[in-house]
Amino acid sequence: MGYGKEHYLGLFRVTEDQLARLVKEGLDGGGSYCDLFFEYSTYSELLLRDGIVSSGGFHIDYGVGIRVLKGERTGYAYSESTDRKSMHEAVVAASKIAASSATSKPEWFTKTPCLREPGRGQYATEWSWRDSDAKVFVPVMESLQKRISEKDPRAAKIIVSLSGQASDILMYNSFGELTFDTRPMGTLAATVVFIKDGRIEYKTVSRSFRTGTGMLTDSLVEEISDEAVSGIDDRFAAKRPKGGKMPVVMGAGASGILLHEAMGHAFEADFNRKGQSVFSGKIGSKVCDESISIVDDGTIPGNRGSIVYDDEGIPAQKTYMVKEGILTSYLHDRISASFYGVAPTGNGRRESFRYAPIPRMRATYMESGKAGKEDIIASVKKGIYVDQFSNGQVQIGEGDFTFFVKSGYLIENGRLTAPVKDINIIGNGPQALADIVAVGNDLKIDPGAWTCGKGQSCPVSCGIPTVLVSNLTVGGV
Amino acid sequence: MEEVIGILDPQEIALAEKCLETALDKGAQKVRITLNKSLMDLFGTLNGELDKVSHCLDRSMGVSLFADGRFGSFSTNRLAEEDLELFLDRSLATVRMLAEDSFRDLPDPGRTAKDAVTGKELDLVDGSYARLTSGERLRIAMDAAIFKAHEGEDLISEEGEYSDSIADTLILDSNGTRCRHTETSFEYGVETTIRDSSGNRYSGFWWDASTRLRDLDSGICGETALSRARAQVGPRIIPGGEYNMVVDSEKASRLVTPLLNALNAYSLQQKNSFLLDTLGKEVFPQFLTIMDRPREAGRSGSRLFDSEGVATQETPIIENGVVKEYFVNTYMSRKMGIAPTVEDAGRPVVLPCISGGGPVQGILDRKGIMGLVGDGILVTDFNGGNSNPATGDFSFGIEGFLFKDGAIVHPVREMLITGNLKDLWNNLIAAGNDSRRCMSKLIPTLAFSNVSFSS
Repeated sequence: MGYGKEHYLGLFRVTEDQLARLVKEGLDGGGSYCDLFFEYSTYSELLLRDGIVSSGGFHIDYGVGIRVLKGERTGYAYSESTDRKSMHEAVVAASKIAASSATSKPEWFTKTPCLREPGRGQYATEWSWRDSDAKVFVPVMESLQKRISEKDPRAAKIIVSLSGQASDILMYNSFGELTFDTRPMGTLAATVVFIKDGRIEYKTVSRSFRTGTGMLTDSLVEEISDEAVSGIDDRFAAKRPKGGKMPVVMGAGASGILLHEAMGHAFEADFNRKGQSVFSGKIGSKVCDESISIVDDGTIPGNRGSIVYDDEGIPAQKTYMVKEGILTSYLHDRISASFYGVAPTGNGRRESFRYAPIPRMRATYMESGKAGKEDIIASVKKGIYVDQFSNGQVQIGEGDFTFFVKSGYLIENGRLTAPVKDINIIGNGPQALADIVAVGNDLKIDPGAWTCGKGQSCPVSCGIPTVLVSNLTVGGV
Repeated sequence: MEEVIGILDPQEIALAEKCLETALDKGAQKVRITLNKSLMDLFGTLNGELDKVSHCLDRSMGVSLFADGRFGSFSTNRLAEEDLELFLDRSLATVRMLAEDSFRDLPDPGRTAKDAVTGKELDLVDGSYARLTSGERLRIAMDAAIFKAHEGEDLISEEGEYSDSIADTLILDSNGTRCRHTETSFEYGVETTIRDSSGNRYSGFWWDASTRLRDLDSGICGETALSRARAQVGPRIIPGGEYNMVVDSEKASRLVTPLLNALNAYSLQQKNSFLLDTLGKEVFPQFLTIMDRPREAGRSGSRLFDSEGVATQETPIIENGVVKEYFVNTYMSRKMGIAPTVEDAGRPVVLPCISGGGPVQGILDRKGIMGLVGDGILVTDFNGGNSNPATGDFSFGIEGFLFKDGAIVHPVREMLITGNLKDLWNNLIAAGNDSRRCMSKLIPTLAFSNVSFSS
């Protein structure tokens, strides 16, 4: 069971009357909308290095962010204290936006119709990270380190990290909407350095969920240790392939970074509202084969990208960006929803009370198609199969994207052959979408600790079924 | 000039001192307190009109506790005395649950900075900061916008941000260390997006920053960003292969950062470094020297101490191709049994050089280096990519231009570079003397031969 509103009002030492007065002060200068975002977050972290958990700590962050909108324009300020004087000063600073000179833009801000009922079951808040201590966590970390060592004696150095976060959030706005939430997040990760015949390779595996300490099960430890040591022989044997344009089979799961970088960012409505995105003005257009549907979903239970409410108090939802090949929706916050005259999609997110919300992804994935994974691989005469990734990047205007492949295999005559590693794949988002010629029936959401940067960090996740892109540039020798 | 002192007030400093004493009273044997406070104002424009305003005041206290042979690191922004008392109780309880680690310690007091008393020693505080009004900040942001001057042209979006800040840091420890650093910063950045006649969009970004408002050149940013966007119109895909590569000084630090990371003791101790066991060895070309110059007064990135309070110093990182410095903090020094230095490079500087040549005479900028190289690809931005810290193998997406006879021919698209960082740096042709003064890593335009490009 979650907490009632009294818990949050007490935590932030405010009353509903005070909240109403604050937003009224925010609008006194002529603002068209005002909202308040209270946050109390605690972060705990432990680090196992060289066999012992000898480093750890926790961090407390507390404050309120105050936003005043004048049409599409944003005034923002925050206070690390919720006493009356500090919040009043922040309101005054944020409301300066309304006092600025006239603009050619609309001065109104519309409340577009939207859901008010929260989605249920996105995450469990029992077994809070706040109420547990290192005594509980250290044996889990030691067990993970031990299992990795036992499974592969080449594991010369192992770092295990565990972080747990709990955030209490209270939101109130000038529409009179009071919203509150407690968000957990736990991440367990292992970085392993392997040495074989004087050569060094490393691998990082992580699992991150919006859940309490209940995630720390024996099966999770087993899963991470298995993945940490899997494929190491191939990694030592891997070479860079000959580079060039070729068909690329994206393995199910982490290849979803392709969607996040190449398409997801360009679907964020702020880039489109400002005319900066390659998808600006293309709602209703066919952007890929009708077998393809792309979703951004905040409702997957326990998923790292899930939220009961976004950071503007809009309930999380499942949003089809592309439905059967047609671009159907951007990802909206309240500002862009007002601009486009549509309902917000629950994508108004922020790193903390220090940031104003902007459209951000949650869990972004492509829905399953009909093809079998083996059939997709078998259809490629000469190409590459990729399955593990690290970072990626996109240019919103041009749509050009890059992402880094940590491991994969050559495909020769329909079969996976030599392992490959440390290559980049580069392409153009709209073109890559159009070049998807097969979609597998094996959608997998990657459970790793993905974090999206867009001037401020947000936890997200990504997923994809096995997909064949007919033509991408692979960086090789 | 108006006197500006740091923004930490005496009560906040007294609170930090009390926190240190309280932690000792509660049973910690050694304690380090880091008190940070910063104030930032931002005015953003969209298409020549005010789009956002923000005002941010941050305070936080970091506490490193050494208790019963154990160590933990904690922070909070709830600085009321009663909150701090509970915070310290919980912090100490957490430390005592961790494993003993005899290598944890504060730095030797003889190594900590003694010349950072007021925070102003490096001359990084602009006295005019305190007099700046909201109206003046708005005027700077609006004056820098160029959208209206280009109305009706190809410019479809201009997003600019002016911001200024003052930051104040105080480090205290139970060995008597007391270091303070205060710095103002003024910055303007702008992203422009244009649409060509075929409807393709291209974006260009430019920025400037300084510790002093009078040195901020916000007026050139919009036009520079616009020209960088327009220069990208009509990119072509060219065949992959080996090319000479010139890397613009704006982005050249991307190739230096992995070297510095590989020289950090945390990477070395974990054997996750391609520069393992290279101290004192010549692994780069003899004409390459990279210095750490963290003590230049008035320059962005300068600092007199690291996060442990250890005094920085001017020192060679790589000198005539020889690795001269590992970055080793107190913990790693004791753990690895090697001498401590500082925790990382404060302000690295690549000295100008030309392969096989003598000292660089006069200005050697991007144009001069392209002329020196003749033909190749000019890289103006990196688009994603990564390098393997253990092997040094890298793969980066790039944006840039094909050039011939020292002159740009056309932009290129969808290209990648791949290789190994040690090999790349051993193919260094030249380093210019045009590093941007606003950056904390002073890396000039660089040129390399035989770089593998894929397309």
